[in-house]
Amino acid sequence: MNENIWVLMSGDAIAIATTLILAALGALFTERSGVLNLGIEGILLTAAISSFLAADASGSVWLGLVVGMLIGAVMASIHAVLSVVFRANQIVAGLALVIFGTGLANYLGKPAEGKTVSTVIKPLSFGPLSDIPVIGPIVFGQDIVTYFAIALAIAASRYLFRTRPGLELRATGDDPATVDAQGLSVARIRIRYTMVGGALVGLGGSWLMLAQSAGWHQAATTNGLGWIALALVVFAGWRPIRIIFGAVLFGFTLQLPFTLQAEQITFIPSAFLEMLPYLATLIALIALSRPGSRNLLGAPRALGTPFVRDER
Amino acid sequence: MHIPFRVVFEQRGESPRRLSVLVPLVSVFAALFFGALFLLATGHSPIDTYSNMFQDGFASFNGITDTLALSTVLICTGISAAFAFQMNLYNIGGEGQLYLGLIGVAWAGIALGDHLPTLLMVPIVLLCGALAGAAWIFIPAFVRSRLGTSEIVSTLLLTYIGASLIKHVIYTPGSFFRNPNTSFPQGRMVADSASLDSFGSSRLYPTFFVALIIAGALYWVVKQTEFGYRINVISDSPRAAHYAGINSRRTTMWVMLISGALSGLAGAMLIVGPYGKIEPSIITLGYGYAGIVVAALARNNLGLIIVSGILFSGLRVGGNNLQVTTDTPIHIGVMLQGAILLFALGGEAFRRYHVHVVRVHEVSTKKAAA
Repeated sequence: MNENIWVLMSGDAIAIATTLILAALGALFTERSGVLNLGIEGILLTAAISSFLAADASGSVWLGLVVGMLIGAVMASIHAVLSVVFRANQIVAGLALVIFGTGLANYLGKPAEGKTVSTVIKPLSFGPLSDIPVIGPIVFGQDIVTYFAIALAIAASRYLFRTRPGLELRATGDDPATVDAQGLSVARIRIRYTMVGGALVGLGGSWLMLAQSAGWHQAATTNGLGWIALALVVFAGWRPIRIIFGAVLFGFTLQLPFTLQAEQITFIPSAFLEMLPYLATLIALIALSRPGSRNLLGAPRALGTPFVRDER
Repeated sequence: MHIPFRVVFEQRGESPRRLSVLVPLVSVFAALFFGALFLLATGHSPIDTYSNMFQDGFASFNGITDTLALSTVLICTGISAAFAFQMNLYNIGGEGQLYLGLIGVAWAGIALGDHLPTLLMVPIVLLCGALAGAAWIFIPAFVRSRLGTSEIVSTLLLTYIGASLIKHVIYTPGSFFRNPNTSFPQGRMVADSASLDSFGSSRLYPTFFVALIIAGALYWVVKQTEFGYRINVISDSPRAAHYAGINSRRTTMWVMLISGALSGLAGAMLIVGPYGKIEPSIITLGYGYAGIVVAALARNNLGLIIVSGILFSGLRVGGNNLQVTTDTPIHIGVMLQGAILLFALGGEAFRRYHVHVVRVHEVSTKKAAA
């Protein structure tokens, strides 16, 4: 058995986890404020194609990433306005965003079809450290966004549980009436974090495009990663640190079919391997909603419900 | 930062009737206007695009019949979504249940062979498609009614699993569903007696009327039967339903199974009608997802779904032909669907609430700052 390919796979699994960490963190911030944004997949796609076009036109991956984040925030602001200001059904609004985003991304991506982006994000080089067998390529073979995503998840955990604004954010998702009584604007907090969340999802989408796929393949570019990210938030019990582990786990299951194929292990049908991450999420989701383990979840209590002061 | 205005939403006691017509209409036009600006900004002519879409979707014999043909599927996936949505059960995996419908109907259509008359065979295979769709939602329905597991995520995850399943049955050599006579992976045709002929030179199949009848029948079920009454009580107030002794677990289960069956039926109709075999490209068409839009635009009203289903089919048929008639990317059709729904959701607020803008005096914030 070729050991190299397994090392490569571990590196790739962590890499693919980057998009998942960023998208899931985006969803987590949004949901912690009490807003349920199912439109992640649509935001990922629009951000991906925008970053492609921006990076291709300017020759700068950084500009691509920034544009992707901005577009992510703008897309999320549509959801924020609909669910916070207009008090629309958040589930339907999120789905509308997926459909709108998919159409928009495919429309914008028409000229980019079949092309590869002219500039990509390259892995950092740590000199001799990257040459250490096994550990080198896995730990020291990633690009800056991957390290940033992991650092961000750790920082997000501190922010949520150790700072004043983090407390306000959690309170807005759990008990908006109290936040309102404190003289804070529930609407403003929710809109802010929905947009911050959108920007993070946008960063995830841009990175996926500029570091992983490097070409526009319509909806197959994200291939449902946005939905996996949403499941991941549930899986992680709305806690940022657990998102890192969950994302790596999902990264592995997403990467496994390719590795087994390369190893010529064919007794498992490739279709089954393709199903594996979705199946794993489904099983995790069901297992975590068993009565005994439900308190492990800790979903924000006001998730998905609009806050109306007059109706209290 | 001080904003001198505040938007106030005042709940309406009873929303005026004219608004329930006006709001969706204005939403459609607002979305089209937005789309026009977008087309202009990206260097395409909105007038050309829209007139071509309208021409190909609504204003020619082929356009109208193609639109009605497509609406057959969208009405089915639309009522599938709406039937569950009205009880706050968000089955958004209609897409996956549709895939299983394809597999169910293809299995029956091949396995039963050419022994039965069409009049008997078609209902049997359609039923098999519907049952396969229901089977695909069984686990989400079961865990939703027992453990409260979110059906949103579970039904969606199963859609991806269903897509892999479709690819598996077509691409695996020697598969039952694969045409054994071609080296290129293709679905095996179902028996002749399991497929219908279209009307004349059109591409419209009799299944269109089946869809209409089912929409009507379910409308009746919801409005007139005890089962429909239970659905209404549970969706209005789960607690009231509990005290009234309504078994909401069982109702949840049934509503979700029926919803799954309807999406399965939509897939089955594709094979009984135009395709005749499992065509892997169906999984890229997103008819199941479109059903959610159709349902939301009709505000889950099973009667209105026929209207919104036809409207959306027209948009798609018109949009798909754009590739032939203009250089505008066909995806404008899908984008407009999303935009219409977003505008309709925003417009919904004006139907439910009296919206007005009030001035806020700056005094209070200044005091707080000092």
